[in-house]
Formats: sequence, C-alpha cells, structure tokens
Amino acid sequence: MKQYILSLALIFTISVNLFAQNGTIRGIVIDDETGETIMGASIFLPQVEGVGTISDLDGSFSLSVKPGKYTLNISFTGLSTLTMTDVAVVAGETNVLGELRLKESSDVLVEVVVSATAKRNTESAILTLKRKSAVVMDGISSSLIREIGDNNAVEAAKRITGVTVEGGKYVYVRGLGDRYSKTTLNDMEIPGLDPDKNSIQMDLFPTSLVDNITVVKTFSADKPADFSGGLLNLEIKSFPDKKVFEYSAGIGINPSMHFNNDYLTYQGGGLDFLGFDNGTRALPEGASGSNIPTPISGASPDQVNAFVNSFDPNLGAQQKMSFMDFSFNVSMGNQIDLKNKINSKLGYVFSLAYKNETRYYDDVIYGEYQRYQDPERYDLRYATVQNGQLGENGVLVGAMAGVAYKTTRSKHRLNLIHLQSGEKKAGQFWIDNDGEAVGQSGYIGFSNNLEYNQRSLTNLLLNGSYYLNDDKLEIDWRIAPTYSNGTDPDIRRTAFTYTAVDTNFNAGAAGNPTRIWRNLSEVNLPVKVDFTRKATLFNRDAEWKAGVSNIYKMRDYRILSYDVQFFGNQPNWAEPDPDIVLDPEQIYPNGRIYYSSGNADPNPNEYQSSSNNTALYVSGEFKPNTLLKAVVGLRAENFTQWHTGRDQRYASGDVVNGRSLDNEVVLESFNLFPSVNLIYSVTRLQNLRASYSRTIARPSFKELSFAQILDPITNRIFNGSLFTYSDWDGKLQVTNIDNLDLRWELFNEDGEMVSVSAFYKNFTNPIELVRIPEQQTSTEYQPRNVGNGQLYGLELEFRKDLDFISEKLKNFNLSGNFTFVESFIDMTDLEFNSRVNFEKKGQTIVNRRSMAGQSPYVLNGGIAYKDEEKGISGGLFYNVKGPTLQIVGVGLFPDIYTIPFHSLNFNMNKKLGKEQGTGLSIGISNLLMDRVESMFRSYEAGDQPFNSIAPGMSFSIGISHKI
Amino acid sequence: MMLAVVSAALVFTGCKDDSGDGNTTPTPTQTGNVKVVQNISSNTTWTKDKVYELAGRVTVLSGATLTIEAGTVIKGQAGTGANATALLIARGGKIMAEGTESLPIIFTSVADEITPADVAAGNFASPNLDPDINGLWGGVIILGKAPISASNSSGDISEVQIEGIPTSDPNGLYGGSDPADNSGVFKYVSIRHGGTNIGSGNEINGLTLGGVGSGTTIENIEIVANQDDGVEWFGGTVNVKNVVVWNCNDDGIDTDQAWAGTLDNVVVITVAGHSFELDGPEGSAKAGHTIKNGSIICSTADRQCEDIINVDDNSIVNLENLYFTALKDGQKINRVTAAEVTFTGIKINVPAADLANYVNGAVPAGVTAGTGGFATLSAFNWTWASKAGAMSGI
Repeated sequence: MKQYILSLALIFTISVNLFAQNGTIRGIVIDDETGETIMGASIFLPQVEGVGTISDLDGSFSLSVKPGKYTLNISFTGLSTLTMTDVAVVAGETNVLGELRLKESSDVLVEVVVSATAKRNTESAILTLKRKSAVVMDGISSSLIREIGDNNAVEAAKRITGVTVEGGKYVYVRGLGDRYSKTTLNDMEIPGLDPDKNSIQMDLFPTSLVDNITVVKTFSADKPADFSGGLLNLEIKSFPDKKVFEYSAGIGINPSMHFNNDYLTYQGGGLDFLGFDNGTRALPEGASGSNIPTPISGASPDQVNAFVNSFDPNLGAQQKMSFMDFSFNVSMGNQIDLKNKINSKLGYVFSLAYKNETRYYDDVIYGEYQRYQDPERYDLRYATVQNGQLGENGVLVGAMAGVAYKTTRSKHRLNLIHLQSGEKKAGQFWIDNDGEAVGQSGYIGFSNNLEYNQRSLTNLLLNGSYYLNDDKLEIDWRIAPTYSNGTDPDIRRTAFTYTAVDTNFNAGAAGNPTRIWRNLSEVNLPVKVDFTRKATLFNRDAEWKAGVSNIYKMRDYRILSYDVQFFGNQPNWAEPDPDIVLDPEQIYPNGRIYYSSGNADPNPNEYQSSSNNTALYVSGEFKPNTLLKAVVGLRAENFTQWHTGRDQRYASGDVVNGRSLDNEVVLESFNLFPSVNLIYSVTRLQNLRASYSRTIARPSFKELSFAQILDPITNRIFNGSLFTYSDWDGKLQVTNIDNLDLRWELFNEDGEMVSVSAFYKNFTNPIELVRIPEQQTSTEYQPRNVGNGQLYGLELEFRKDLDFISEKLKNFNLSGNFTFVESFIDMTDLEFNSRVNFEKKGQTIVNRRSMAGQSPYVLNGGIAYKDEEKGISGGLFYNVKGPTLQIVGVGLFPDIYTIPFHSLNFNMNKKLGKEQGTGLSIGISNLLMDRVESMFRSYEAGDQPFNSIAPGMSFSIGISHKI
Repeated sequence: MMLAVVSAALVFTGCKDDSGDGNTTPTPTQTGNVKVVQNISSNTTWTKDKVYELAGRVTVLSGATLTIEAGTVIKGQAGTGANATALLIARGGKIMAEGTESLPIIFTSVADEITPADVAAGNFASPNLDPDINGLWGGVIILGKAPISASNSSGDISEVQIEGIPTSDPNGLYGGSDPADNSGVFKYVSIRHGGTNIGSGNEINGLTLGGVGSGTTIENIEIVANQDDGVEWFGGTVNVKNVVVWNCNDDGIDTDQAWAGTLDNVVVITVAGHSFELDGPEGSAKAGHTIKNGSIICSTADRQCEDIINVDDNSIVNLENLYFTALKDGQKINRVTAAEVTFTGIKINVPAADLANYVNGAVPAGVTAGTGGFATLSAFNWTWASKAGAMSGI
C-alpha cells in the first residue's frame, strides 16, 4: 500500500516529463455478441516491431508509442481480427479509441477493417449487455453520458427507461417506491444521507467520474435479496481513459423563490455555508441530565436563570432576501502506465462538489381532515389546517478520492467518500383548529418554526479482484464500511394562541414554545467475496458463481425535548413576537419563564439497534441450447435484528408493566431466495424472457423500535411498530415477495428497441403506514403488516429514432416507458369494518384496496436531440406517477394519496471549443408549474390537502471546462 | 403491598442516578415521600400520615381499588411529554377518595411544601406556591365504561383513547355500554398546579372524566391552576356537584362526546380559555347534559377568559341559572343559534343596553343583564379559592 501512495505522489510530479516524448493509445475490447469485455485480447502495431500488449481484466489496454499514425490489430481466439487504421498519436496526449468490438469469426468474416477517423455507429456495450443479459437490466455507460453531456449521476440515471428519481435522490422503478427499490454504490450497500431510505445522494457524483449506472429489474442470486422493484448500482470510475481535470459551475434561478424579500430564514452558525453547525445549536450543558434546573428542581434561582439563558433566545423566523442556487465542481483523474510490468496501471480520481440551494414556498398547506359520520354527508371537514411560508437553504458538500492499481490479472482499489449536508429551515404558519371536529379543542395559532438538519456520511471502499487458473476463476472481494451521522440540533417551535381577547401560550391549544434535539449515528459494515468460474456445460460456455457476504449495521438514536413553562401567570404578550419570549426580564426569577424537560430517564425516545445479515449464494449461467440462456441460482440470507429501547410506561418508572428490551432479538429470519431467469433468442435481435424469483423487504431500524418521532412543523407523530394496540400485536414481520416476469423485446443495431413486459408480484405481510385510530387529538401513524397483497403489471418500453419520418429528424429520438399496475391488498377485518362503519350512502365497501406506495401507473416519455458533430444535445422529458396511497386511513380518518405530479423538464447541452472541452448547459424544470401534493380522499368528497407546496419553475445554467 | 411499592421505588431511584451526564445540578432534598412508580393491580390504601409521590403515570388497573384516606397529600413529580406524571383510574378500576370538608385530599406538585400536618391543621393553601403556577405535573384521569358518543373506526360506542395519555398505553381507553358503571367515590379533592402537556393540543386536564358512569360519586372538587382545562367530560353519565375551577390556563368546564349528566353548583374563576366549552356528540349517539346554578368571574386585573360560553352547532346542553360577572370587551356567548342548547336564567353583569355586545347573535330570551350569583358559595368554604378570597363579588 505504501508503495502505491509513494508512486502516486511521484507520478503527480514527474509523469508529464516521463512520458512527454510518447503518446498513448487506449481502448476497451468488447465481444460484439455479448457486450462483455474481453480479457487477454492481443493488440499490436504491425508497423512497429515489438510493440504490443494484451487487454487486461477490464478489457482495456494502453500502448505508449512515438507520435505518428498507426494501424492497430486486435485479435482474440475465435473472433475475427479488428484492424483499425489511421490511429493518430500526438506527443504527450492520449487517443481514446473507446469500445472496440470484435465480431464472431466465420468463413466470410475473418477480419474487419475500420478507420479510426470514420464515424462509428455501433451500439454501446451496455446496450448489448442489456440485450443479452439473462436478467432484465438497463443502464447507461460513461461513453453515453459523455455524449449527452449530463453533469451529474442523477441527470444520467433519469435517462434509463423505467426509472424515476424524485427529489434528486429517491429511486422508483416500475412505480414501486423506496421500500421495494434499492441503490448500491460500487455494488456495495451504502446508507443514504437519510438513513431510513434505501437511496444514495446521486446528485453528488459528477458524471466524469461515473463509469456506469445500471438498473436490474429481476433478481438473481448474486444480488441482495431485499429489492423487488429495481436495484440501481452506481459504479465509480477507477481508471479514467485519460488525464482529466474538469471544473464546472452552475446557477439556478427560480423566479418565485429567489431574490425574494419575503424569504424566511434565521441566524444560524458561521459554518452553515459548509453544511455543518459550528456549535451554535449545541445542546446546552447539563440539559441532557435527568434533573435540569427549574424553580422546583432544587436549583437556585440563579442556576435556573443561567440555564434558561444558555438556550438561544432567537425563536422567530426573519425575512431576508433569498439568493439563487449555485454549485461548483472540480474533478480530476488519470491512469498511468507503470513501466515495470506489462499492463501495470495506476489510476486515481478525485472530486469535490459543492451545492447551495434555496427554496421558498409561499403557500404551504398542511391539513388534517376527517369524515362526517352521517352517511349522507360526503364532504370532509378539517380538524387542523396550517397555512404559511417556508424557507429552506440546503448546502451539500461531497468529496471523493480513489486510487486503484491493476495488472493484467489483478486489480485493487480504494475509494473514500465524504458527504456533508446541512439544511436550514424557517417557517411561519397560521394554524386553524376546528373545535367541532372530533377530538379537537378549537383554536387559532401562529407558529414560528426553526430547524436545522445536518447529515454526514463517510464511506471507504476496499476492493480486490483476481483472475486465476488460466483466467477461468475470478475472485472479487469488497469491504465498504460507512459511518453516517444525522442531527437536528435545536428545532424550535413557538406558537402563540390567538383568542378574541388576547394572545398567549396555551398548552391546550397551539402549545407552549418547545425545542427538540435529535441525533442519529449509524455504522454499516458490508463485506463480500464473489467467485466466478468459467466452465462448459452442454458443450457451450457456462459460468458458475458463488459468494458469501455479511452486513452488520448498528444505529444509535436519541430525541430530547424541552418546553417553556411559566412559574405563575404569563405576561401579557401585547406584541406576539417570538423573539421577546426569552428576553432577560421574562426569565425566572426576573420573569416566570423556565424550561421543563420532556425526557424521562431512561429515555423512551432513545434506542440502539443493530442487525446482521449473512448471505450465501450459488448460481449458474448456461445455455441448454444455442438459443436459450438460463441463470439459475439460490441465495440464503440469515438476518437478525436487535433492539435496545423501552416504552413510555417503563421509562416513567413502571418496570413491571412497562416493556424494556436490552439488546433483544426483534427480528430473526432465515430465508431462501431461489431465482430463475431465462432468455430465449427468437432472432439475434429479438428475445423472449421469463423469470421467477423470491425476494424480501425488511422493516427498518426506526420501524422496529419504540421511538415516537414528532414532526415539529406538522405535529404528526411516527410511532415505532413495537407498541401494541388492540388491533396490533407489535410484531412487525418481514415481507416475502414472489416475483414473476415475462418479457418480449425487439432491438435494432441503432439502439432502437421496443419491449412489452408483464409482471406479477405476491406480497406476504407487506408493511404499510397506518393511521392509529384510537388517537383522535394528535395525528399518529405506525408501520404495520396489513393483509397480503398482489400486483399485476404491464410495462411498455420503446426507443425510436425519428429519421423514419424525415431525414431532417434523424437526430431526434423518442423514448418512453409506460407501466400500468393493478395492485390490491386483502384488508384485515378491522380495516374492513372500520371502512364499513363510515360507508357513505351509495358507496359499496369491498374488502380489497390498492397497496400503499404502489402507483397505478407511471409514464415516462421524452423526445431527445443529439448532434455529435455540433456537440448539441437536449430534450424534453415528461414524467408522472398515478395517485398513490400514501397513508392508510381508518374509519374517521380518510386515506391519504400522493397526487400525480406532472413533471415536464427541458435541458440542452452544447459543447464548445475544438476539443469540445467546454460545455454549456441550460435547463428548465417543472415547465407545467405543478404543485407537489398529497390529499385526503374519500367517496364522493372533494380532495382536501394533507401536504401541498408549489416548487415553481426553475431555470439553470451551467458551464464546465475540461483540461 | 406497601413494602413492595417502596422497595420497587428504591430500586428505581437507584437506577436513575447512574445515568446522568455528569451535570452538577442539585437534586431535591430527600423528602421522605412514598414514591409510587408502578401501576396498582391489587387493592391499596394511601394513608393520611404520608405524602405519596407519583413518579410516573400511575394507573389503578381494572379490578383494583385505590383507597385514599381523608387528609392525604399526593404529589406529582415534574415532567412534560412522555415524562408527565398522573393518576389514572382505568376502566374497571376504582378510586375511593373520600375527603371531608375539614380533611380534604390534596393532589399537587412535588414542589408544593404542603404537608398532611398542614391539612390536618386546616391550612389547605400551599405554603410556597402561588395559585397561578401551573404545568408542574399531570392530573387525575378517571375512565369508565359508560356510553360515549365518539365516532371511531369501530363504530359509535367503542372505546377511545383519552386525551393526555399516549396511545401506546392501552389503559387510556374509555367508553362502553354500562351507564350505571361505578368508578368509585371522589369527594373533597383539590387538584393543583398540574396539566402538563404531552404535545400541542394534547395535555392533561385537572380532572378528566372519560365514560364515567352514574354509579360514581363526584362532588366537592376544586381545581387550581391547571395548564389545560379544569374539568373535562368525555361522554359518560356521571352527575357532579360543587365544583370550583380557579386560574386554569384553558377552559373552565369542558364537555365532549355527549356527556349525559348534570353539573350542579359550579364556580369558574378567571380561566384563560373559555369559561364553558361545551361540545356536541361526535358519534351518532345523541345525549345532552345540564349545567346549573353557577357563578363565573370572567376577569381579574391580570387574567381573563375567552368566550364565556362556547358551544358547537350540534351541542345538546341545558344551561340554567348561571351568573357571569367582571366581563371585558370581546367576551361573548358564542353560537347561541345551536338548535339544542337552551338558555334559562343566564344573567350577565353588564348594562342592559350593552347586552347584545356580549352575545354572538340574537340575544336568547333566557339571557338577561343583571347581578346576583347562583352558586351556593357555602359549599366551597373548604377550598383554597374561597379562603384566598377569590370568590368575592359573586
């Protein structure tokens, strides 16, 4: 290791001089038939005696020669030789030939001759792989990304058919949400910045360092079993084709949000602009103790005064002009041919990304609605409606560094990533609570909310792969520990209650001023080893795979809260200004304000959870006949989850009736995951596919806990599933899923395609978020297993160039992915009865409904333009998901649906300069100015808002330059 | 039984001390109080020679009876949210708290220095806490099996979780089909300085009565400085008499879910919410209640209530002989149009010409301007409010 670092340091300084007299030729050798890379192909220059090499384990080769024009011969046993003429080499520069495809050898085709300067029109290897792979997969490679000119991985991933990326992070495949989709980085699990989501923050990865992004839609044994919709993998480049130093900058302007004087923010810390709090919001000393100083704690008045004074007195949002979005990005990388050994290369990559985004929503609505019990009263009535403004400023910093070393038959790499984000929110809301609604007391309030959310993630990847036994055996091991941390320091909510006669704080109405600290830290340790063995079966090439992996995760979580209390009468708040609440004259003993603790000891809102998943698999890929390929595998996963936590009863002292878990097993499951993927080649460009697999979805740490997490703005409470209710036994089970897929697909050589898929999934014990019916005053939810679910889906996918209409349209192509899904859950008796009790006149309740989180349809479509010679690409893309059940209502409380968001976006990239090294991009998002909304829905009732915000239309301009 | 409670308390406090973060805040001096941390699952008696300290949400479970001797002092530890302390009588559990005029039972905060000796000596006021200090602990919650009119998932008359108790505690369920249900006796009880909140809009009343049946005796009750309502009924059929609510931070008398009973002889003094907040049925079961013979002080120099009476459109209430005095501008009877709310002998101490300013809508025939209270104040001689002179002028 020391050697590598040393040589890396040396190379930085001397590489230019060392290789200045020569130029370099690089390329990747691909099997035209399969799209797979070829290791061990011979590359030689017939004009130059003794210069040649062989392709390495990635199929890539590198030749250092004197400047000039060359002919290149590439050959491999059983394939026709490719001769490439006019390969130009300039001193000190690298000529990247890209993917070089070797066709199948036959009597008529022994040698293919092409000119390096001729325009090549072959599909990229990833498309061939897609066509030939036994699993249903799709993807985008670095070469395609480079042609299109996307700036970051999210932009690129959106071009994969069937993939929806929401909010730059959350991946939906076939309309199945986060619970059933998964993202991995370099084939390894990595927690997202939001550790409760299965997604990584892809917008932090500049495309110059992305090797490829792939999505698989059907499971095979070598993949983790906990996905059902799709598995997206982002592969970071280890060996850039040539020396790259790229910097870019961008701005984004949303006319309704930016340079707006009404924008809300608050005074934070001096390092907010770097994505972390400088200590300004730290928990005051002594506040986490079991006995904080209060007038009745035994503390002296001075101690109480000092303690209250140790809290930040700023409780109000302030108006300030908002700034636009801006971002910077620097990335560099290279590969260096080491002299000592053939194909011995050192690669390095480095990138630093910074994003600063500002959002201002001037018309935010949070609503809580109820049904009337009268069967002839169809409309919904509100319990609480909050209406106000919300300002958000998010900072995201991402740094990545990687170094890799390979020889012909071995590769080692080390990759380090650190992501840091800080989001500051300030909001003001009018709260209208209707006393006539069930469980409500009725009040008008006005709240000021201040929040800061800080997250960080550090991930280290160590990876080694080797070819042994005449290249027939590949061994690949990976270790990728991650440490992530998320805190919400000093969330402040200050809500005055407005009455006919005065303004005050009323615990029974809008509540007393409160502040919350939340902290989460998590360690993930995934380790795996995979063995791939080339073999022969039925006299044809076959491949056996086996592997073992282990993932250990551990999380610490804690919430602390504090309320303002008055020791005696409140002052007369003639001026309801939150920033005078903690004025010195108000603080005990000068005034009456002190803080009381909401934290029992031990804290019921503190938990430690851990899980361990050991997996073992074997699979075989073989061809029973020339047209049929099969991948058959079996994976076993042994999963255990432990929890340390306690319920409120226990925390408040009742050690007999309360429940406390001390590192006890809360989930244990050993499962076998069989999978069969078949592909039948009807013709070379036409396939029929069939696959069956069994997969799983497991509850998260948060879901399997005693935590009760309050959203301070909406006042909605998430309850961990361990709490029992009359209709819930507190035992959350894993969801077992059977997946069946059938697919017909037709391709052509230009990358055009059309496919039709039908799929079926059967869910045993799906988990959904359910409204807790017993609680009528506050809005509480809990994840529960509901009845079994099933879904049937139809997916249509196409990509078509428009040159068939007119030659003038040859640079345009149309692509789309339409998925229609019929899903249903067999309701539990309780849910069914609760719905029957609120059955409206004319309504017939059946004991089936659609599954939560499953959209009935997803439409993705776009028209893209690409002119490589002019360096212009662009497109108009539309995406919408059908109304999706988000939270399952019960009785009085209607179901909540995510309403379709019609997303129409435009982007255009233009490359400038003779090397096309400068890129200019513009984009417009949300051209239709749609709102992001969730709604309460009930029979014959008008939709009423649960959440509603308007993101507005935004314009972005970016410039990048490559040296 | 008592020994078990005490020793469990010792074990618990032992656990408590080793998990601080090293802060140097002083802890309260040893008080000699009997700490109660566990639910009461068998018959238990609290005696007047001791102070009982509620260390959490203590529940008298179904089948158990908690007897509290006259003159006993019960103190709740501090805490809000999950940490709130309260005495909860679950459905099927029973409270036998029979104070007397000379030996009332006092529920207060651990910060209150009042002792059983003070009570025995006739000193019922707190020696150290002002009567406007609230939110120091939770409150008393009595739950029964009498009908409620709630619309819940499982239909009309099912159980509902009581306000102030987290849904994760199944002992917070109330309601049923036994109108004559008996939750015991609750007499001559003064509840003070409580009402800590669980979350906004979700806090503990001084005395909460959820589905309490008519077999229960509740009379001679004083609520002083509760952060939420004084007394709140959620359905049920219990009749209550002789109630004074003083300095509470939300409503004085609050009714929901078709309480079917009578409140006779009531005094409400300067609450911060509505003096009367009277809601209608929430389910299809319809029932109403009667509130009669009351005197209400609507403001003092530094405190005032919101509406003097606030009803819903569907409320079913008979209001008889209630006297409101010390009114300020903006204080009103709200929604007099409700079809099933009757006003008889409602007297407001304002000039007759200004009466319309204090009624939101047309002045009903039963509402007049005038003076002279209806409450029988002699029934309240034992209360702190009476002794402090807070009842003067009615």
